[in-house]
Amino acid sequence: MKLSFKRGVHPVGNKAISKDAALTDFPTPQEVSIPLSQHIGAPAALAVEVGSAVKAGTLIGKAASFVSANVFSSVSGVVKSIEKKRTAIGSFCDHVVIENDGLYEEETLPSLSELSSESIKNRVREAGIVGMGGATFPTHVKLSPKTPVDVLIINAAECEPYITCDYRLCLEKPREIMEGIGYLMTALGVSNAIVGMEDNKEDAIASLQAVAPENVRVCSLKTKYPQGAEKQLIFALTGRVVPEGALPSDVGAVVDNVHTAFAVYEAVALGKPSYMRAMTISGQACTHPGNFWVRNGVTYQAVAEFAGMLPETMKVISGGPMMGFAQADLLPSTGKGTSSILFLNDDEISDGDKPISACINCASCASHCPMHLMPMFIERAVEEEDALKAKGLHAMSCLECGCCSFVCPASRPLVQSMRRAKKLIREKGV
Amino acid sequence: MGKFIVSSSPHVANKRTVSGIMLEVLIALCPAVFVSVYVFGFYALFLEILSVGAAVGAECLFNLIMKKEQTYKDCSAMVTGLLLALNLPVSVPFYVPIIGSAFAIIFVKMLFGGIGKNFANPAIAGRIFLLLAWASFMTSFVEPINWDRGGAFKYFACILEGQNGLKDVAAITTATPLSALRSSVQYAKDLPIWKMFLGYIGGSLGETSALAVLIGGAYLIVRRIIDWRIPLTFIGTVALFALIYGAAKGNAGAFILPSLFGGGLFLGAFFMATDYATTPNSKWGLVVFAFGCGLITSLIRFFGNYPEGVSFAILLMNICTPLIDKAIHPRPFGAVKAKKGGAK
Repeated sequence: MKLSFKRGVHPVGNKAISKDAALTDFPTPQEVSIPLSQHIGAPAALAVEVGSAVKAGTLIGKAASFVSANVFSSVSGVVKSIEKKRTAIGSFCDHVVIENDGLYEEETLPSLSELSSESIKNRVREAGIVGMGGATFPTHVKLSPKTPVDVLIINAAECEPYITCDYRLCLEKPREIMEGIGYLMTALGVSNAIVGMEDNKEDAIASLQAVAPENVRVCSLKTKYPQGAEKQLIFALTGRVVPEGALPSDVGAVVDNVHTAFAVYEAVALGKPSYMRAMTISGQACTHPGNFWVRNGVTYQAVAEFAGMLPETMKVISGGPMMGFAQADLLPSTGKGTSSILFLNDDEISDGDKPISACINCASCASHCPMHLMPMFIERAVEEEDALKAKGLHAMSCLECGCCSFVCPASRPLVQSMRRAKKLIREKGV
Repeated sequence: MGKFIVSSSPHVANKRTVSGIMLEVLIALCPAVFVSVYVFGFYALFLEILSVGAAVGAECLFNLIMKKEQTYKDCSAMVTGLLLALNLPVSVPFYVPIIGSAFAIIFVKMLFGGIGKNFANPAIAGRIFLLLAWASFMTSFVEPINWDRGGAFKYFACILEGQNGLKDVAAITTATPLSALRSSVQYAKDLPIWKMFLGYIGGSLGETSALAVLIGGAYLIVRRIIDWRIPLTFIGTVALFALIYGAAKGNAGAFILPSLFGGGLFLGAFFMATDYATTPNSKWGLVVFAFGCGLITSLIRFFGNYPEGVSFAILLMNICTPLIDKAIHPRPFGAVKAKKGGAK
């Protein structure tokens, strides 16, 4: 029996487009525009002014509260302006626009004198590391759980179609990842870690297994979406069920993305803060797909030009096709959580493929929901504006993973209804 | 720079559509249609086409009059029409399927809001309507035709001869095995089980051959159009009660196979009790629903006034569906059980 969770869907993987392209440096443009909000929580407070000289690794935004993260310059050069711009997820925040001098001079954090739980936690916080699978939750917060934890889970499932950056990272940097996992274990004070990866990436599993110490298990998971969802992953790897509204630490687990572990390695061993990441460029509507080391603050426009975006592009997506954000234009910039940018043509997207009709009550949404909810009833509760009913149907547990909309034969916008349900419940305060 | 589409995630979807599902059901009904023509001649096909046409026509007409968008493209009316036809004996006059389909579509489906909103399976309600309106037509079952002697067109000939057609037909009326099933163990034991399974026996167009329905039903299960829990529980429950009835009569096994292969059980369990709109939305809800169908079917068959109880059973359970859906929900992943009397 393959390790897995119950229900879920099998979208077409489309990973072949980029999986064999080794990570190379993305040519950083003349100017970068770095958002001060690249994470969940308070935006970082501006720490430079127009005209300041910066290096790659200079602090430009300081964490504004505990749940926030430092932001660093990704290039060396001069701060040109501070602009309020839209981010890829649609909210507005200050962006630090930096003129790139092309020298890439680096500023590193001082090396750590000792490797203790405290010193590593502080380093992770200093280095501005956030969840790099796309959720961008500040990692240092996760490293300070309120309840005792006995296992670290490393999420390398990469269950979203198209995305291959974590796969490449595992193939190319297994030792560094293992070192990072070791630091995370020290920080948490746990003696066991489990890496979970889908079985469509056997070579990457082998690559990690070859260098894994005894107390780090690398497990093969069934290829099924959303295998990398936190609660589903914990269940698949440990059999533990995270109660509704609780955190993974309540069942003794902390989950971090494999790229986050790599970032921790860089911060602890090299003193390099988080300003660069592996990112996948993919989709049929671009001529130069692949996996690249991309510095924060590269505009989507620059990515599109480099990727050779074709005129047939119908959708530009930040993230994967199941949970990513469709972009209206190419003005936003990449950040710590930008795991991929996809250029998709009409054949690849489902918009307009299925006629939208009334719900036929087939219950496909319910039978595929990884949280075992009943989306069709939640949708009806939203239409009746019945917040109490929506809450009673556990709408707040929804992951917004998209399985319900994916399978709906009537093409109902169910995920959107789930979001409306959550908003309704919050507004009515039931 | 061209404009990009901006819409909510997910940006991909599987290929299944409403019309695709309905076409799969139509494909799955092909073996039953084939057997109906083989057993009863081309008049069976004529009735099926009339019924499908009337169902689609009624839906179009309704939408036209009510100034609503046309919905025939979802193919669900075709399924309703064909299922209704398969529930008719071959000896009915040509206007019976037309009236039945129109009733099913307009009164059971469209007036309640169209696809997905109907409270009962339209084909079942249509059949029951016809059963009450034309009891004699609906319970006259004829023997399979003889292809060698021009039998393929026998019932066409009856129709062409005018209203006397039915009398001719009635002359060869045969009892369905079910109508006398409960009478005795000996009767049950003498039934031609193989003939019943294959379908070369009197009965409704689509009900005669359990095998043909089974092939179509298996197709739907493999294609994941219907949930296997419904037919399994429904048929299993009927078998269980046949066993109990038989045991009470002194021969536990005698009634099981005739109960399964006689009447409309298979057609009902695979095609009628699996209508999405009128069945519960949870897995356990489906089991309860199907058990109820099996229970009521058995009670009517063994103790009621009608020889056949499948359609009444499904109709009654259709009506119970909202209650089942209210009572049974899947437990959300990680849901915390409501605390009663403190933690354990």
